[in-house]
Amino acid sequence: MERPHDLGGEPAGPVDRREHEVEDWERLTDAITIALDRKGVKTTDEHRRAIESLPDYRELSYYERWAAATENLLVEKGLLSRKEIDARAEELSRAWGER
Amino acid sequence: MSGHDHPHEGPGRTASPYALRIRAIESLLVEKGVLTEAEIQDQIEYMDSRSPANGARLVARAWVDPEFRRRLLADTKAAALELGIDASGPVEFVVVENTPEVHNLIVCTLCSCYPRAILGRPPDWYKSFEYRSRAVREPRAVMREFGHEPPEGVRVAVHDSTADVRYMVLPMRPEGTEGMSEEELAALVTRDSLIGVSVPRAPARAR
Repeated sequence: MERPHDLGGEPAGPVDRREHEVEDWERLTDAITIALDRKGVKTTDEHRRAIESLPDYRELSYYERWAAATENLLVEKGLLSRKEIDARAEELSRAWGER
Repeated sequence: MSGHDHPHEGPGRTASPYALRIRAIESLLVEKGVLTEAEIQDQIEYMDSRSPANGARLVARAWVDPEFRRRLLADTKAAALELGIDASGPVEFVVVENTPEVHNLIVCTLCSCYPRAILGRPPDWYKSFEYRSRAVREPRAVMREFGHEPPEGVRVAVHDSTADVRYMVLPMRPEGTEGMSEEELAALVTRDSLIGVSVPRAPARAR
């Protein structure tokens, strides 16, 4: 089965040459992902496999794919649970909302 | 974490739900001692310090120093280190040289592999579905969109990057640049010319 990342040679429209300033959360996603590689927690190839397995690959932005894949790998490896990520996100969201 | 239905992949989008999630992940990883805050900050600074200016310096040196050019093509990491650019790590770098016969273009059809350790994070369009799809099938049409088309008869070689091998283009030195300093030459080398969708700027006209 062809997977969503296998795009080489597919027909497509013009290249959108606009660029956006990398946002803080995107730089953080980039840094965490690479730092985990450097620590030997995961590999680039594992991360790619996780990205390519995302069911919403085409709907997500670039760093959303990175973040989702890194999260899935951390859960898969048993380092974090989905539940605790949900809970911490909820806490942070509340803390930020109160500011 | 799916099910939101706003349009994506366009530049400039903010307030992603993943922004909160990655902060939560950061907080947990630090708490559990998987990563330290310093390691994360160091990595952010490392990437922020990489830029196309590094590639421009390598190219300018190669233009003025044939021996350096030879070393850059033979062992990119070692040559980069000579200029203080640390691209060490498991990733291999291959510099592909433009000639009057061959114009090189780089892409990563499967994802976004790019010589990040030298040039920094890739531009948005390099990661776009459109560039990844078309660069291998109609590279000349893609280059035309960037305002460049190699003369007829010039062969276009497209290099599809992988996680392990990253390419960078060594463009041809523009005409009319005799006598220019290395620094002046580096200023002509654009990021896009290092990817191959374009060529270096022409020098300002001689006064």
